[in-house]
Amino acid sequence: MSSEKVIELKELARHFEVGGDLVKALDGVDLDIGRGEYVSLVGPSGSGKTTLFNMIGGLDRPTNGSVYIDGVDISKLDAYELAWLRCRRIGYIFQSFNLIQVLTALENVSLPTVFAGLPRDEGNEKARQLLESVGLGDRINHKPTQLSAGQQQRVAIARALANDPAIILADEPTGNLDLKTGTEIIDLLHKLNRSKGLTLVAATHDLKMIKASDRVVMMRDGRIEKIEKGEAPLNHN
Amino acid sequence: MTQVGHGRVTFSFKDAINLGFSYLRRRRDRSILNIASISLGLSFYTSLILTDMFYQTYATLGGASQSVESTYYWLVIIALIVSVVGITNAMLISVFERVREIGTMKCIGALDQHVLLLFLVEALLQGLVGGLIGYILGVGAALLSTGFTTGFNIILYVQPVRLFTIFAASLGISLILSTVATMYPAYKASKLDPVEALRYEL
Ligand SMILES: Nc1ncnc2c1ncn2[C@@H]1O[C@H](COP(=O)(O)OP(=O)(O)OP(=O)(O)O)[C@@H](O)[C@H]1O
Ligand SMILES: [Mg+2]
Repeated sequence: MSSEKVIELKELARHFEVGGDLVKALDGVDLDIGRGEYVSLVGPSGSGKTTLFNMIGGLDRPTNGSVYIDGVDISKLDAYELAWLRCRRIGYIFQSFNLIQVLTALENVSLPTVFAGLPRDEGNEKARQLLESVGLGDRINHKPTQLSAGQQQRVAIARALANDPAIILADEPTGNLDLKTGTEIIDLLHKLNRSKGLTLVAATHDLKMIKASDRVVMMRDGRIEKIEKGEAPLNHN
Repeated sequence: MTQVGHGRVTFSFKDAINLGFSYLRRRRDRSILNIASISLGLSFYTSLILTDMFYQTYATLGGASQSVESTYYWLVIIALIVSVVGITNAMLISVFERVREIGTMKCIGALDQHVLLLFLVEALLQGLVGGLIGYILGVGAALLSTGFTTGFNIILYVQPVRLFTIFAASLGISLILSTVATMYPAYKASKLDPVEALRYEL
């Protein structure tokens, strides 16, 4: 899409030692992702998708190679700067939603604004608007246990957007949802990507999600096997 | 403004109180057990001190002089240690239950020290309530154990400042003990690696 690179991965490797064996979760990944791009990450279980997300989000350090976000090598950042990166530049969406169970939808969505240092009423107002925009305006005071799976994922999406991040990392966002709810979530993410110019990187097995993306990155054994333009990769398993 | 590597995440004491209060309120059973544990230990402590004080006051008013056996003070110390161990245990369970949530919080910007602060604030809130209840129970117990000899109005003859001193001491001890009890669990929580925490299945 756009030529401006938001994420650059250079010879990225992450190895784990498990009981004397070396597991190459990532084994030399080179990838550039442009601003506003929608990239699907596909590959069999264990191919390194989650590990890749952990690298981009600065949650884990590479064994080798580097990650650049907005041109900054994030291995050079200290703990404070990494926290800021995760708080302000990146929004996470997980397969299992990972909402804070004791907090209401509104409190969950406003929590990132607390860490960002936004005044409380501003954060709450922001959270209210975001919940409205994902169709949960009438559920803001519900706890996660009082919401359906699809609604919980909407709360998680709103939370990911709370600090206006440039990048959304979604790790199998529809993995725990039924077909219909999953499709709604995919449409929502797609809409956000298009309307807000958010860079969306999603690990998924969902053909609908894959079809909607600009590029499909296929991974296997910690490497990029193939990159295809969106709409095409229906032949993949 | 939101450039990479610019700016600082924040999480104030007040933020920690808000979030900690939500946890304590929603996990009411655990919180009540912790508070009960600390307030029982403290009520034992305050009731002994006050019993002694009531007898002393009674003696200055011309009554027979009595005192609390010193072995009781050993029992107090043991009771307080037991409540510390109980709280440590309960807080460790709380950390295990919240592993994923702690990982999530780190994903959205929390630093180690923010997680530490959250758990310590929860300890302080429990300590505050525990100390308060412990004091009230202690006053009641001391009156029950002395009242039949000294008359229940004995409390009115004790200098208020002395009652207040014991109140402050019981609150202080309660806060210190629940903080000490929570130090290790809170440290453990703060050091959780977000990647591991998010892989963790309950
Ligand atoms: N902390 C770890 N310790 C040891 N091995 C790990 C660790 N994290 C990941 N791995 C290994 O790295 C490889 C890649 O794992 P990863 O979770 O990134 O795969 P994935 O593509 O996300 O799979 P899935 O589709 O099942 O989520 C796997 O072989 C996994 O066992
Ligand atoms: Mg995965």
